[in-house]
Amino acid sequence: METDFATWLRGRTDDDLCALVAARPELITPVPTHLNALAARAASRSALDRALDRLDAFSIAVLEALLVLPSPLSRTDLAASLRTGGEPVGDALDAALGRLGTWALVYSEDDALRPAPGLHQALPRPAGLGPPAEEAFAHYPRERRETILADVGHDDLVGMLQDPLGVARLVADVGPAAREALDNLAWGPPLGTIRNAMRPVRIATASSPIEALLARGLIAAVDDDTVVLPREVGLWLRGGRIHRTLPARPPAVDGRRREAELIDRTAAGQAFTAVRAVEELCELWGADPPGVLRTGGLGVRDLRRTAVLLDVPDWAAGLWIELAYAAGLIAASGTVDGEWLPTPGYDSWSVRTVAERWAVLAATWLTTERVPALIGERDDRDRPVYALHPALQRTVAPATRAVALRALAAADHGVVPTAESLHERISWEHPRHRDPRRDQMIEFTLREAEQLGVTGLGGLSGHGRALLAESDAAAVLAPLLPEPVEHVLLQADLTAVAPGPLTTELGRALALAADVESTGGATVYRFGEESVRRALDAGQSASDLLSMLEKHSSTPVPQPLRYLVEDVSRRHGQVRVGGASAYIRCDDPVILDQLIADRRSPVLRLRRLAPTVIASRSSRDVLVDALRSMGYAPVAESLDGDLLVSRLESRRGEPVPPPGATRPAPPGPELVAAAVRALRAGDEAEHAIRRPIPAPTGGLPRSAAAEALAALQAAISSGLRVWIGYLDAQGQATSRILEPARLEGGFLTAYDATRAAVHRFALHRITGVAEVDEGEPRD
Amino acid sequence: MTDGPLIVQSDKTLLLEVDHPDADACRKAIAPFAELERAPEHVHTYRVTPLALWNARAAGHDAEQVVDALLTFSRYPVPHALLVDVADNMARYGRLRLEKHPVHGLVLTSTDRAVLEEVLRAKKIQPMLGRRIDDDSVVVHAAERGPLKQALLKLGWPAEDLAGYVDGEAHAISLSFDDWELRPYQRDAASAFWHGGSGVVVLPCGAGKTIVGAAAMAHASATTLILVTNTVSAHQWKTELLKRTSLTESEIGEYTGTKKEIKPVTIATYQVMTTKRQGQYRHLELFDARDWGLVLYDEVHLLPAPIFRMTANLQARRRLGLTATLVREDGREGDVFSLIGPKRFDVPWKEMENQGWIAPADCVEVRVTLGDDERLAYAMAETEERYRFCATTPSKTRVAEALVRRHAGEQVLVIGQYIDQLDEIGAQLDAPVVKGETRVREREALFDRFRSGEIGVLVVSKVANFSIDLPEAAVAIQVSGTFGSRQEEAQRLGRVLRPKSDGRGARFYAVVARDTVDQEFAAHRQRFLAEQGYAYKIIDADAVLDS
Repeated sequence: METDFATWLRGRTDDDLCALVAARPELITPVPTHLNALAARAASRSALDRALDRLDAFSIAVLEALLVLPSPLSRTDLAASLRTGGEPVGDALDAALGRLGTWALVYSEDDALRPAPGLHQALPRPAGLGPPAEEAFAHYPRERRETILADVGHDDLVGMLQDPLGVARLVADVGPAAREALDNLAWGPPLGTIRNAMRPVRIATASSPIEALLARGLIAAVDDDTVVLPREVGLWLRGGRIHRTLPARPPAVDGRRREAELIDRTAAGQAFTAVRAVEELCELWGADPPGVLRTGGLGVRDLRRTAVLLDVPDWAAGLWIELAYAAGLIAASGTVDGEWLPTPGYDSWSVRTVAERWAVLAATWLTTERVPALIGERDDRDRPVYALHPALQRTVAPATRAVALRALAAADHGVVPTAESLHERISWEHPRHRDPRRDQMIEFTLREAEQLGVTGLGGLSGHGRALLAESDAAAVLAPLLPEPVEHVLLQADLTAVAPGPLTTELGRALALAADVESTGGATVYRFGEESVRRALDAGQSASDLLSMLEKHSSTPVPQPLRYLVEDVSRRHGQVRVGGASAYIRCDDPVILDQLIADRRSPVLRLRRLAPTVIASRSSRDVLVDALRSMGYAPVAESLDGDLLVSRLESRRGEPVPPPGATRPAPPGPELVAAAVRALRAGDEAEHAIRRPIPAPTGGLPRSAAAEALAALQAAISSGLRVWIGYLDAQGQATSRILEPARLEGGFLTAYDATRAAVHRFALHRITGVAEVDEGEPRD
Repeated sequence: MTDGPLIVQSDKTLLLEVDHPDADACRKAIAPFAELERAPEHVHTYRVTPLALWNARAAGHDAEQVVDALLTFSRYPVPHALLVDVADNMARYGRLRLEKHPVHGLVLTSTDRAVLEEVLRAKKIQPMLGRRIDDDSVVVHAAERGPLKQALLKLGWPAEDLAGYVDGEAHAISLSFDDWELRPYQRDAASAFWHGGSGVVVLPCGAGKTIVGAAAMAHASATTLILVTNTVSAHQWKTELLKRTSLTESEIGEYTGTKKEIKPVTIATYQVMTTKRQGQYRHLELFDARDWGLVLYDEVHLLPAPIFRMTANLQARRRLGLTATLVREDGREGDVFSLIGPKRFDVPWKEMENQGWIAPADCVEVRVTLGDDERLAYAMAETEERYRFCATTPSKTRVAEALVRRHAGEQVLVIGQYIDQLDEIGAQLDAPVVKGETRVREREALFDRFRSGEIGVLVVSKVANFSIDLPEAAVAIQVSGTFGSRQEEAQRLGRVLRPKSDGRGARFYAVVARDTVDQEFAAHRQRFLAEQGYAYKIIDADAVLDS
């Protein structure tokens, strides 16, 4: 059977194989050496499980039918077995078979369809049916089987159950209570629990419905507590049908209909808010970074504080933090007392347009394995899971998000799907999954999609669709976002309202001269004494500031604002503060004149502050010594009060690559093609009947070591065969024709055409290299 | 992106660009559910709060309308989180209802069993409730109607009070239109109140709140208890009622420090109601003295805490609150909502001014500079003395004098905080001073003479902040204030906002000492005016003194 499968696989075209490994990339990680190995891997339990997890309900039903019915099966018989209340399944069946064939889950020859090997084990109870009678009774001791046969008056237990009439006769005998018990097991699960299942029972002495069934072999005991309905009985009870319901087409995703434009606008509003929130987060942390916990991650208190500052619930703050981290916008600084800091990546992100910034965040969200919604839960060892903690990684997360978004995308643009409708669709698309929390994860995904502005009012937005289709989501989003404006409205209550996002330059200028009071579609700035002083401190003059405001205001600058700026500037700089290491004072200005004029004084870096005071940047001790050497008799004065000017700066961490996915990205077309090429080559190497090429007779080639090396290298790159002389392990000189493949560590790996095998040759034993006469390239 | 006049901010404020052609339509659409916070010249700021949303719900608006208004007028996409928040909050009002049950009396019912279960488990609520009637309703002790509403609001589940009101003792009251008529907004306010049952009417100073009160009394035609801030105000209410209604002297009683009359219409002061003797409120029985059909609260934003407690027991009577602002310095807006009632009517100041119902006002800040030795003294003053020092600088007296000269022939009020300073100014200007120690009779005499024009200049302390009707005051000069109280600034401006017989505009001068805390406080106070759309101008004291 297995060889059949492998042979079938070998008979596929390269394109078929490419399609196979593209759909089941786990088959080529790592690339198997030849097609037999590929076939074995494709039939392995783990690979099959992964493939089945990606299948829809109908494809699985088709597989189940193939597993239940005798193999091989023609398409016509298969179609007949998939009766679904009269609904034709033709197109859907062809599509499903095409897919199953491509995925090498079904293989066929001349309309004889077979399930891939290993599927029997991967789907042990197809369609909720129990094991075939043969298997179900296999472990019964002979005497017991004989007892049953004697009781029912038949000679072959399996044969009896395979005959519908035989089953019918047996069932007719058991009475209504037992029949009800059978019906309960009919549509699966086929297992029932009773006590002491293995007890010997006879029809004559059966005291309960279950005993009546056991005595007739209509159910089989599996162990002491469990009984199972044999497949044949199950099929009879189902009236020959394999599936009770068989939705051949995905259920439509439906819900409330709203204007598509409204959904897009709402989502865009949220997208804008999302970008603002992440930006605000990075700015906050740049100025006041939270510490990295010893176990990694961010403390609960820091999370709360950030949530309060961002004015969002904790879970949303967690989302922004994790997104910023996954997108490489924040990272732990490498110092001992680690801090979470924005990266240089943040700086380059922040200069892009809002739409582009959103696209980065959204794409990160879609592919990241980090699951922000798990923050605050407890891990296996009952410790709380912190934000930014390594434990937040879940490999299934990107797949689950894709599943949820694809289900959303299945609804028309403008439709807000109901939760049930989404759930139905997802259950059809992916009935099998191994994530026990998938429903919850999907809920998280929907919540986060809304928060991120991928969906609006619950419906997938236009830019959300573009994101899912991997087209330019930013371009779809951009027209929905506020355009940057270059003017503000100045008001007498000392506020400035920017009725949209400001151009970067104006935004910076305003942020310097005024405090931000509220953000959103617009920004409200408030001028105050402090903020104006901040602008003046940054080197602007009152007239600079006022002319900047005049230039960008669509209305005249209100008088109170003008007064405020002028008031602050009038007092600004009246009192001056500077730093000096030491000072020289002397009641006699003439002495100080003299000192300043002295040729030796410039190194002391003196500055005259007043007729009787000189400040110096040299230290007090240096000054005292220098003055002494210049012939003065200075006395040191004790003084504390060196003024330290500290400035709060926004800090940046080291560039750190964003946390990559632990699972490799799905292989691209080139990689797939390369893998198939490698497989074919390996397979050829494995199977091709390669005649050994006789080594040329005559003297062994001899050449200098360096020349030999060069010749080998040339042969590797050109793919030509070479003739070498080689001393084998016994010291015998041999002559060989090689196809050199790799040269490393003093060894040559090559296909030895003389012995038709791959060998490693020690370079120092190669006596010489010569060209082969025929000189044709391989392949 | 549309070109709407509204920008929705993430902190739940709404910015309305007033010069936009759709601004008026937008204002009408958002006014029911957003509180106007600031109204400077170009962009007005509204805030969407849970209380504002509940007010809107009480007025019959639903979340759909609110969301629709936001989406229709918003220039930019509205963040979804905000819309969800709006819907959530609005859905909270009315899930619980107080109703009259024919058998069980007052009951609390719910359309949402989970909510009822939640509030039943609250410790504060339990003792107020009686027997559970069925899954959705529970008996409420009659006396707990008010406290229950308060407690429910605190839990975030404000109850809708549908239990109705007692009619009270009927007493014919009608408005007597001799030489005046109700302004349209006054009629609307009174009827909005009447249809809502109980609640608050918000109108700016000078808009005729007393008349709204009188109109409400006419609607009720029942005995009425009126609670006002002080005795002078009580007298003014009485005068006004005599003038505007069919009530006669014998029907209106005064319940103040000096007189204790109980008549079909009784006017009492907050002060007398909150007077305690031996730890007991002496005058509580006033509330039960008659079967009041209407209780009227003047200046709700000043309602003292004990009155709230007393009001909690008056939930079966109709209540009308009158105020210029719902903002309370103590943050008890929630109690006003639950105990007196939701906001039933309001009109922004600027709109009233535009319609000519209140006088337009010019606000001017006059900056005086302290002399060199004054500055030195100011620098050395104790922190708590600093404001007093700079606020009472003698230069201010000179400026006040110059300003009074400039407005010779007009009715001028000089308002201040410090009595010494006021006495000095009074002496300089040869004008009478009204302060705390001035007796009520004397005060009223002075106000009367000022009203009649016999006195041109009146110097008043903060006793005149509230509820004193001085229609002809055209100029107010503020020389010092209660630190940074924005409330006070608004009240003081209100003194000059009544429309003048000759249609003149009003003028409000604030005299401020430059580069001192006085200027800081002034900036804080004036922010309120600027936010109300009264752009103020700054001039130098020299400009005043020279002219």
